[in-house]
Parts: sequence; structure tokens; C-alpha cells
Amino acid sequence: MPDFKEEIRRRLADLRLSPTRENEIVEELSQHLEDHYEQSLRGGATEEEAYQAAVDELNESDLLKPELKRVERRVQREPLVIGGDSKAHMLGDLWQDLRYGLRMLAKNPGFTTVAVIALALGIGANSAIFSVVNTVLLRPLPYKNPERLVMVWEENSKQGYPRDTPAAANYVDWRDQNHVFEDMAAIVEISFNLTGVGDPERIDGQRVSASLFSLLGVEPQLGRAFRAEEDKPGANHVVVMSHGLWQRRFGADPAIIGRPINLNGESFTVVGVMPRSFQFPTRNDQLWVPIAFDAKEAGNRGSHYLEVIARIKPGITLQEAQAEMTTIASRLQQQYPGTNTSIGAVVTPLHEHVVGDIKPALLVLLGAVAFVLLIACANVANLLLARAAVRQKEIALRLALGAGRQRLIRQFLTESVLLAAFGGGIGLLFAVVGLSVLKRFIPPNISHAQAITIDAKVLIFTVVVSLVTGLIFGLAPATQAANFNLNDTLKESGRDSAAGSRGNRIRGLLVVSEVAVSFILLIGAGLLINSFLHLRNIDPGFRAEKKLTMKIVLPEVRYADKEQRGVFYRELIRRVETLPGVVSAAVATSLPLTESGNSVGVSIEGRADPAPDRVPIVITRMISPRYFETMGIPLLKGRAFTEEDKAESPAVIVISETTARQFWPGEDALGKQLKIGFPSNSENKWLTVIGVVKDVRQYELVVEPKPQMYLPFTQANFFEPRALVVKTNLEPLSLAATVRKTVWEIDRDQPVSNIASMENIVSNSVARQRFSMLLLGIFASLALVLAAVGIYGVMSYSVAQRTHEIGIRMALGAQRGDVLKLTIGQGLRLVVTGVIIGLAAAFVLSRVMSSLLFGISPTDPLTFITISLVLVSVAILASYIPALRASRVDPMFALRYE
Amino acid sequence: MAMPYIGSHILDRELKKGSAELLILSLVEDRPRHGYEIGQLIELRSRGVLHFNVGSLYPLLYRLEKRGWIRGRWVEKASQRRRRYYRLTAAGAKVLTAQRSNWREFVQAITRVTGVAHA
Repeated sequence: MPDFKEEIRRRLADLRLSPTRENEIVEELSQHLEDHYEQSLRGGATEEEAYQAAVDELNESDLLKPELKRVERRVQREPLVIGGDSKAHMLGDLWQDLRYGLRMLAKNPGFTTVAVIALALGIGANSAIFSVVNTVLLRPLPYKNPERLVMVWEENSKQGYPRDTPAAANYVDWRDQNHVFEDMAAIVEISFNLTGVGDPERIDGQRVSASLFSLLGVEPQLGRAFRAEEDKPGANHVVVMSHGLWQRRFGADPAIIGRPINLNGESFTVVGVMPRSFQFPTRNDQLWVPIAFDAKEAGNRGSHYLEVIARIKPGITLQEAQAEMTTIASRLQQQYPGTNTSIGAVVTPLHEHVVGDIKPALLVLLGAVAFVLLIACANVANLLLARAAVRQKEIALRLALGAGRQRLIRQFLTESVLLAAFGGGIGLLFAVVGLSVLKRFIPPNISHAQAITIDAKVLIFTVVVSLVTGLIFGLAPATQAANFNLNDTLKESGRDSAAGSRGNRIRGLLVVSEVAVSFILLIGAGLLINSFLHLRNIDPGFRAEKKLTMKIVLPEVRYADKEQRGVFYRELIRRVETLPGVVSAAVATSLPLTESGNSVGVSIEGRADPAPDRVPIVITRMISPRYFETMGIPLLKGRAFTEEDKAESPAVIVISETTARQFWPGEDALGKQLKIGFPSNSENKWLTVIGVVKDVRQYELVVEPKPQMYLPFTQANFFEPRALVVKTNLEPLSLAATVRKTVWEIDRDQPVSNIASMENIVSNSVARQRFSMLLLGIFASLALVLAAVGIYGVMSYSVAQRTHEIGIRMALGAQRGDVLKLTIGQGLRLVVTGVIIGLAAAFVLSRVMSSLLFGISPTDPLTFITISLVLVSVAILASYIPALRASRVDPMFALRYE
Repeated sequence: MAMPYIGSHILDRELKKGSAELLILSLVEDRPRHGYEIGQLIELRSRGVLHFNVGSLYPLLYRLEKRGWIRGRWVEKASQRRRRYYRLTAAGAKVLTAQRSNWREFVQAITRVTGVAHA
């Protein structure tokens, strides 16, 4: 009898019927043809003729396919048959698998909950950190064609400044001589006292080239940007303000354009208001005025304080721009040997400048959360393996009924992807919650930090991560299910089958990798914590407790001469010191760790003048009497300033111990003299050292103290005090309002800003380090918990499987202690293997963190040893509970249990 | 002449389509039959005038089954391969009664118009 099935099947192929339905139709039709064939034979036809007749019957009308298509258009809902023909029916099978998977998950709510939560933690952490990375690192800057925006720096590596802020004259030459930039703009920070509308306020802003806004490609929301003719002294009393300031201080009044406002005691006309989204360079900047160099500034090559931004012409590469700038810089070197000898030019992408500092920390964190997710995957894979062992009977049955192994793998993968999808969904919720917490710890100076949200990209990221995750952790159980030996399983009772022991091996492997990965994470966190402790243990040189600080900048217009300013400060200190709760008060040009202050070059009495680029630089602060006492800076030698150090008395200074050691090594510094500026025969007065104080970390905690000196503010005619510090015996901030009121009693229009306790300032100065440490710490703890759960799970499972064996051992005389030892030993073996692998990996990987560390090496032995001990003890604890259960096995029960 | 031939061909198809459901329902009325048997009976009883091939018979069966008028079941008989037998359902029986009387009216109407006498 010829087989007509293939003939029929071929004609049905592109109908995409469900496999069951197709089989049925094929069977029925082939029977019809066979009947036809037999009848032809009976009628006297030869076999060929009969076959031909049957096939003709099939071909007779071309109606079969279109008619069937109309009838069978919809795939019918079939009873669930797992297995069967696997090719070409992906969609129908997928639907089947999904429904089946959902039922399986619903049947084991405990398992499902644990797995979903583990995954949600892993995926949520990834989504949260990715959304930070997405906003801070990946999102293009909100300017027109931001990829063509660059910063241009002076390169002065010889003096330790590979990227220095350019001097105005150099900027002007660069701008006028280059052919690679469409435009170039300079900015420099400036602060304003805004008065005349409500409380006086100190507002940060920038002096900017008139073309800055068009260079960035942003338009004001209201009014206009600056005109070229406003970029000149005398014409520059115009101002563009931020959306925030406009709303906050001017009630979003659209009539603000053209109105005068009072800044630093002078009148400026408002010409524009920027859109809400605009920030440049930081969110703090709220006012922009034309930079308007005067002739003196435009010719200055000695003071380096500008930031220069430029837009590369289309078609020009960064390298070409760099080459051109190098040429111009070397021309300037020859032209101005006195100032430009060692000054080159560097072009860097603006984006790099904006995200530069935080990048390494974010990348380390991204790596960390990936690790956490890996551990979560290993845990869920373990759970699935354990469950696959329980489901051996089901798998065996399906294989016996003819299910293909591929089909089984697909079913298992569908289940795990389903789990991951749920994990991803809940993880996204975790991410949303986590982000709102995270935002509070993000250092405020990170660009666009507040714009961090879960956007489409983060959603796609989460979906992809979830799917990949599902495939990764589903693979082990799926292949195990597919590889197991049908015969063995059906023959045995199912408790101790070969697949079980193979599963144990995979489970062991998973635990080892979990331990290794969490070890790496813990090392990372340990190093950061350790480094942070180092940071916090640094003696800043002053005592931060119980100090209230604030910024008070006197406007030059109102306080034109030094005498007036002196009167204000003395009166302020006098009044503040009479307030209840105040111990003492002082003013200074700037306070430590506030990222501001001045340095000067000095000449030393009796020394030959050094080359211009070797002049000693000293950090300089002008202070009032009792500043050291108020700040808690110990006086080591000599005396501090008093009220008697007046403008007309002999000029005196107090220096830091490093200054004394570097300038007069082995000598007594008291009575020695130095002079601000050089050469030493300049007209400046010699200053006599009357005291030596302890070094203070002026700019950053991590930077070794450089030479410092202090001058009485009465004797210095440059650098005005801007900071008030008050030593109290109360909670410092509780005094803030009173002190501010005192300022306003003296001058109603005097803004007070940056009110903070000194402890706040210190803690803000390490915000970045704290951010990395805190997050990595959280992720590492998460990893530790997940790893502990993983070890616990595997040990419990293995103990449950070995109940019988343990029963026999105990029946043969093993003691509880022996069983404990046996079980814990088994767990410990896995953990120690993991730790050894993790140790090797961490040794290599921790080097990527070196830029985040302070005071310790990336292979700090103490951290490595401590973490190993922590991990091993947690592991022992995690296997102790199952071990205890094992040791309580009742031999009678265990032996009877079958 | 080509025209009448094509004309009769179309008429044939239309007639068959309209009557086919009725034919099948009638054939499974008294007892369940399988597809080949149904096809054979139609050809036999119509004395070769009506012939359904695989491509038109089975889709028709499936459609009737889908409408719930007939019901197919796999039946195994001794020393035979299993076959799918179709039987009339209760719903099918009602439809059959209705169609029969419709058909009768239709044929009578045609007869009255054309004057063709009943054989």
C-alpha cells in the first residue's frame, strides 16, 4: 500500500494548522485515498494506475487548501499535549508552554515567591543603577549637536596642571587664530548680591561670552540672549536669568524683560529668561552677564581662571582640532616666552568634562549590580534544579510519551523566562523606590542628577535583562532535564537517581560561583569602606564640631573702601559674640573644604629669586583675630593675631607647619620674613612670621597639606573675607536665624548664603566617596544575603536527600557531632573553593577601583583577610541549620522512610 | 457552443454547493458513516451525476462539524484501521428537516417555471 500521507501533508504545510489537527486531517484523508486505491485495484487496475487515480483524486480540484483554510482558519484550542512534533509550530507551542508554565508557578507559590523576589532584587538594582548611568553618562547633553562641543584647556603638565583653566589673553588668541571651531566662548564664575526684591540673596552666576548661548544652541524662553556689542565694558549691564530664579524671586512675571534689577549694588537690565531645562555649567548658576573683558584683562597671560568651551566645525575631527590648537599654542610659546613657556592646549569633549569624575564610580557600581544579578540567577537556578529533581517523574512520563528533548528544554526555558519576567516587573517597582532613595545620596555636583528617571531606555534595558536572565538561569535545569536517563528514572524509586547526583554537581558548582562572585563584591565594598574610614580618620587640622558657618560677601559698590568693610566685620563679630550660646566668632576669606580660596606666589627673605615657574606658591587666608581659636586650629608656636594687629602696625603672618618646614628647614621660623609676589625687590612689604599653626586640609581631605599662611584681614588690601564662622555650645544650625538677623540689623540689604555647620561641610566634601561606598556596601550585603540563602538552600536539599544515608550512618554508630561535621564540612568545601576562586578574581578586578580608593592599596591584605573570614563564617552559619537538622535525624524513621 | 457549456458548468457548481449540505446531512441521518463512504454513496445514489472529490468533501464535512450539525468520532473496528465516523447531531437534525422542505419548495418552484416534469 503506498503512503499518501506525505502527499497530503505537503499540500497542508502552509496552512499552519495545530499539529494535532493536521495529523488528524492527514490520517482521515489518507484513509480516503487508500480506500480509493483499493477500490481501483479491485476494479482491475494495476498498482500504478490505482496510485495515479488516487493522486488524481487529490489533485482533481484545487479546492482542498482554500476550503480548508476557510474552515480551519483559527487554530483550535486543543487539549494540552506536551511533546509531539516540534518543528514549525513555535507560536502554538509557546502559548501552550506559557499557560503550562503559569500553572506550574501558581502551583508552587512558595518557590515562585522566593525566586521572583531574588530576581526582582537583582533586576531592580540593575535598572536603578542603569537609569543613573543612562542619565548621567549616556544621555547626550541638552544642547544642539552636543557631540561637537568641546572644552579647551591650557596644558601645563610641567607644573602639574595637565588641564589648566586658560588665561584671558590666551583665550583671545586661540579664538582669533583658529580655523577649526565655529565659535569659542569663555566663562568665569561670579556671584551677585541680589537686593531690592524681598530678602537680599547671594546668587551664583557666570560671566560669559555674548555668543555662549548661540554656541550651545539654546534660545532663551523669554526675551533674547546677549548681543555682541554688549560684550564690552560699559555696555555689559544686562543679565539673563534662569527659569528657577525667575519663578522664585520674580513670580514668573513675563514683564520682567527690560526691567532693571539690583546686583552687587548696581543696576542690570534683564534681557532674557532661559528655559526650565537649561543649566550651564551647573544647576547652581542662575544669572549670566556678558564677560566683557577690559583691555587689562584681555591682555593678561598670568592669571588662569577661564573655562573655555568651543564648537568644532562640521567635518573637523577632535584630532584635527587638537593639532590646530597645539600649533597655535606653540606659536604663543615663542611669542610670549615670559608667560607661555610651558603652556600648551588640550581639547577634550564637553561630555567627558561633565561626567568625568563620577564615571569610574558608576561603572564599578554597574559591574557590582551585574554581579548581584548573577548571584540571584545562580540562586534561582538552584531552586529550579531542586524542583527539576522533584519533577523527574513528570519529565520521565513525558519523555516516555514521546516528547522531544528540545521540546522539554523549551518548556523549561519558558518557565524560567516567565519567572524572570515577573522578577523584572517587580524589580522595576524596586528600582522606582530605590531611585527615590538613591537621589538623596547622589552628590549634588553631579550633572543632571535630579533628571534621573525611568525612561523608555531603562524599560527596554529591564526587559532585555529579564529575558537574558531567564535564559541564563533556566539553562542548567533545562539541559539537565533533557539529558537525564529515562531508563534509570523509571527503574528507580526516584529518590537517589543518577540525575539527582548530576544535579548535585551542578548545584555545587553554582554555589561555588555564587560565593566567588559575592566575594569579589564584598572585597569591593570592603575596600571602599576601609578607604572611607581612612578618609574620615584624616585629621583635617581643625575641629568641625559645633561650628556654624555662612557666606557674607560685601558688595563693592556699597562698601567701596577697606575701612568701611573693616567696620562691618568688626561690628558683626562683636554683635555675634554677645549672642547667647556663642563662644567666639571670626571671619575669613574662605573656610577649609569649601572648594574656594586663594593662593599667592611668594618671595623668601635672603633667598635668590627662583625661575618664574619655580616660585613657591602658598595658600593664603585673611582672617580676623580668634579665627584659630574659633576653628580649633592648634597654635604650635608663637602667637595668634589680636586686635592690636592693625593696618598701621608691623605686617605679620602666621604660617602652617608645612610652610615652616619647607621654607626654613631645621630653623626656627619665628621672626623670619617673606613677601607676597616676586621678584623679591618688588614694592610689597615684608611680612614677619609671628606664629606657626597646624596644617589644615584646605581644599580636599585627601590632598596632602600644601604650604599655607594667614594674614590679619586688617593688614591685607586684597582678598576680602567672605565667610563667617561661629563657635557655639549649642546645636550650630539652631543659631542660624539669630545670626542672620544680626547681619540684617547691621545692613538690611546684606545677603547671607551657604548656611551650614562645619560638620556638614566636612561631610559634603566626601559625598562622592560616601555615595560609592554606601551603594557598593548595599549591593555587597545583598550579594552576601543571596549567597547565604543559596548555600542554605543547597545544604538543606542535600541533607533532605541524604536522610536515608545519614540514618544508616547513625544506626551504625555515628554520633551527632560526626553528622554535623560531615554536613558542615560539605558546605565548607564548596565555600572555600568559591573563596579561593573569588580571591584570585578579586585580586585582578579590584585594580579597576584604584581611582576610588584612598589610603589603601586595591589588594589591601587586611580587607582580603577580613572578607574571607566574614564569608566563611556566614557560610558555616548557613550550613549549620541544615546540619543540625541532619544530626537530629531519627535513624528508625530515616530507615523506614522510603 | 461554448456559452451553454460554461453556463451549465456554473449551474452545476451552484446547485452542488447549495445541495451538498443537504446531501451529507441526509446520508448520515440514519447511521454514522465515514468520509469515503459518504462520497461513494453520493456518487452511487446519484448514478454518477454527483461526484465529490477529497478537496471538496472533507472541507464540507469539517464545516458542518464546526457548525455542530454533525459530529465526527474515531472508531476502531476489529481488524480495521480506525476511521472517523460522522453522525447527525440534534441540531443537525433540525437543520435537515428545514432544508428538506426548503429544497422541496425550491424544486417545485423551478419545475413550475421551467415546465420540466419530474422524472
